Amino acid sequence: MAAAVPDFALRNNYRQESQRIQRDFEAVGSGLASLSSRTRLVDTLALTLWEQHFAEVAKQGCSLVALGGFGRSELFPYSDIDLLFLTENDACGELIKPAVSSLCQTMWDCGLRVSPCVRTLADCGRFDQGNLELTLSLLDCRLLGGDQSLFDRLHGKHLPQLIARESDALLQGLSEMTQTRHQRFGNTIFHLEPNLKDGPGGLRDCHVAQWIGMIVALSSGHRDLVSVRQNSAHGEMLDAMEFLCSSRCYLHYRHGRDDNSVTWAAQEELAARGIATGAGAVSPAEWMRLYFRHAKAVYRNSSQLLGQVSRERSSLYRSFQHWRSRVSNSEFSVVDGRVYFQQAADAREAAAVLRLFIFMAHHGIALSPEAERRLNDAHLRLAETMPQDEFLWQHLREALTLPHAANALRAMHSLNLLTRAVPEFETIDLLVLRDLYHRYTVDEHTFMAIEVLHRLKDDQNPSLQPFGQLISELEHPELLFLALLLHDTGKGLEGADHVHGSVQLTAAAVERLQLSEEDAATVCFLVANHLEISSTLRRRDIYDPATIRELAGKIGAPERLKMLTLLTLADIKAVNPEALTPWKAENLWRLYTRTAGYFDRSADVEGLDAKVSTEVVEKVIELLPTQRSEVRKFLEGLPQRYLLSHSPEQVAQHFTMAGNLAAEPVQLRLRPNSGQHELIVATDDHPGLFRTLAGILYAWGMDITKATAFSNRSGVVVDSFYFKDRFHTLELNPPECERFQRSVREILMREASLDRLLESRLKADHKPVKLSVKTHLRYDEVCSSRSTLLEIITQDRPGLLHTISSTLTTEECSIEVALIDTEGPVAHDVFYITCGGHKLTAERMRAVEWALTAELADALPANW
Amino acid sequence: MTKLETVIQPAKFDAVKDALIEIGVEGMTVTEVRGHGRQKGHTEFYRGREYTVDLLPKVKIEMVLPDHIVDRAVQAITSAARTGKIGDGKIFLARVDEAIRIRNDDRGENAL
Repeated sequence: MAAAVPDFALRNNYRQESQRIQRDFEAVGSGLASLSSRTRLVDTLALTLWEQHFAEVAKQGCSLVALGGFGRSELFPYSDIDLLFLTENDACGELIKPAVSSLCQTMWDCGLRVSPCVRTLADCGRFDQGNLELTLSLLDCRLLGGDQSLFDRLHGKHLPQLIARESDALLQGLSEMTQTRHQRFGNTIFHLEPNLKDGPGGLRDCHVAQWIGMIVALSSGHRDLVSVRQNSAHGEMLDAMEFLCSSRCYLHYRHGRDDNSVTWAAQEELAARGIATGAGAVSPAEWMRLYFRHAKAVYRNSSQLLGQVSRERSSLYRSFQHWRSRVSNSEFSVVDGRVYFQQAADAREAAAVLRLFIFMAHHGIALSPEAERRLNDAHLRLAETMPQDEFLWQHLREALTLPHAANALRAMHSLNLLTRAVPEFETIDLLVLRDLYHRYTVDEHTFMAIEVLHRLKDDQNPSLQPFGQLISELEHPELLFLALLLHDTGKGLEGADHVHGSVQLTAAAVERLQLSEEDAATVCFLVANHLEISSTLRRRDIYDPATIRELAGKIGAPERLKMLTLLTLADIKAVNPEALTPWKAENLWRLYTRTAGYFDRSADVEGLDAKVSTEVVEKVIELLPTQRSEVRKFLEGLPQRYLLSHSPEQVAQHFTMAGNLAAEPVQLRLRPNSGQHELIVATDDHPGLFRTLAGILYAWGMDITKATAFSNRSGVVVDSFYFKDRFHTLELNPPECERFQRSVREILMREASLDRLLESRLKADHKPVKLSVKTHLRYDEVCSSRSTLLEIITQDRPGLLHTISSTLTTEECSIEVALIDTEGPVAHDVFYITCGGHKLTAERMRAVEWALTAELADALPANW
Repeated sequence: MTKLETVIQPAKFDAVKDALIEIGVEGMTVTEVRGHGRQKGHTEFYRGREYTVDLLPKVKIEMVLPDHIVDRAVQAITSAARTGKIGDGKIFLARVDEAIRIRNDDRGENAL
């Protein structure tokens, strides 16, 4: 029996040793070393007290056991000390109660927070659903003193048997407990002041991963708890634990209690002292970047393990995932909700890997651990062979527009493949913007912004629903998503103006990806102006017409307005969960509608004098340097809308077409464009021209979705039609393209009859539709000084544009400018019309309204 | 002590905040609100659909100030927020009997 040590001597010794450990930690900064020293200190104290207080009690049939963190030898300065007094039976338990009380009292007096429990061996071998924590803490049990054989029976027999018997319930309980804990933190590692222990990606998640490993191993027949425990942590998890342990140790000393919040001030201290950095003092932002790197690894690891055990054990989940496995194809198989390569060698082929991410973006299925391992193994080869050109863009554009693009990009990024495909993204890898507003790292903010747009269509929030419609109207959503991917890359560069940096990086990216000039210009424009709408909302009166006019001038075209509005929405919403208030969303929508309305009502404003238009003109002249005066003459009379909605290359093409009119009086360009066809017609203006073109397209069975009509002062008309080839005539019969263009030419030159062409079409073209749209006609006499604006909202139907334009021609109206748009079943057409070269009189307006109302009603089939 | 409740155009918030900081006002509570006074609402059209905009976006700033600074604060707000058009906003003033800082029980102007 050891000689009794007075309590005050124990307390002094404990205090002095604790101070020494703290000094060592402050000098060296190693959390794991500190935890180990502290465990040894408390071990010695507990054992000394055990010898003192249990001297007169039976040594046989009773053991002192360390549990939880103490059992793992990871005792933080202010953590609870979990002690188990293990007894052979209840009688023994009764016998030791006074000694347990004395021992704990002395430890409390030393300043240790002891959590004691007295259990018989049989108690420990039983599973208590309501006390899952006890069974989990037993996984880390360690003998401190007392009856070795009693402990051996617990450790070597009862506990492994319990785990093997109750592994399903244990894993289920552990999974639920972890989910509840993660929910408390919003299921994200991204917090301005994270909790190092309980937060997602914190130390508790490391323990969860270890416990899962131990439970799975023991339930599969392994009997040795020690070896199972030693094998449960590896690689990046060990690094993360070292980081988290050192940091948590510092927080305990700093706060003087078991407080694990990395507060704003604590971040500055941890960074200044270089705690866990391995490289001395760093900036607080850099320290947080390290934290997120480790937290991300821990969170991914624990989530993967939890997902795996849930899948293996839930029959309902298995049924669902079995149904999902039907999406497997010749390249990828889906098993238990995870995607695998069918051929292992494919993981080494960049093209197959890109198709894998498209598959994930399409189906929302995560990578299997095996596929992840294969990709990690093939990383070097993939890094070397990753395409950088148009081939990559073809894959990237598809992935970006698919509903689960954000998760596919996250997976790609976590495997370091996104930065191989888009090196510009490297600048913002886990970059922390350390303020109280930006909750996420810049890379995660980017993924979230992409996610926001993909979820818009299904968002039930009333203030976001109008934007959902807007995204489905985009002609090239992939350009918006690419702009979102790159919009903040400049934040990782030196310099105060991140927009400038982002534009430079974006320009490099679009050049490498070989986007067309027009598409590249749109992406660069979006990145360069991604703060423009936010700035207008914050600093300008959005009900002031001058604000709208100025914004419209900067943006230039309705399609770009839509994209920039959506980019702004996503950018704000992805800053933090509360950033996009309904108030802000409403204001953004109002600014959008007012600016969109301005575009429709300013379409005939002449453009050569406006600043932005002048820039376009100069760019056109750069393309045609020897024809400066001819270009200016061609552009005279064309409105700003024309200049701002066409690229300099397109304007130059129209100029060339107009220049050839002397040789060939009808100039045509026909090309496929985004699943539709685009027909550009340049010719000399004559009455009914627009009506005739609309009629020809209708007669050929084409469905016009968009159209614009502009004319210059010399009477040259440039009309553009975007149409769907409903019967795939041009697509399936390439020679028909030539016949179609010949037909257009002959009818415009009056060598063939439109009426005859129309006859066959008019007989049978009425298909029933499910959703009817009420017709609205509205005039605006104020917005234009030369024309009367007529806005028509009506049910889209075959030949609609021909019906409207024929009616206007019959009513002696000339179409000066036409803006034709189709959104699902709704046709939205705006015409700037004149009669005899002047605005319409009140009488003429009534006549036109009456005629159109009658025609549009007549044009409806009986079931409408 | 006086409580100032100010309703202004959102576009003028930065200017008003800067003007208040300039004269030494450090604390304020800001809320995004909707409303109208004489400005009333109006009707807008978007793609043929009619939208009645009867409540306009505004920003409300609330602060309690020592009496000696109130006149300067009012002047700073009016100078920064005024455009001369309907809808510039309003300032409401009300007496405050007591202020208490929860952290340390400071009272009166010490708590501001």
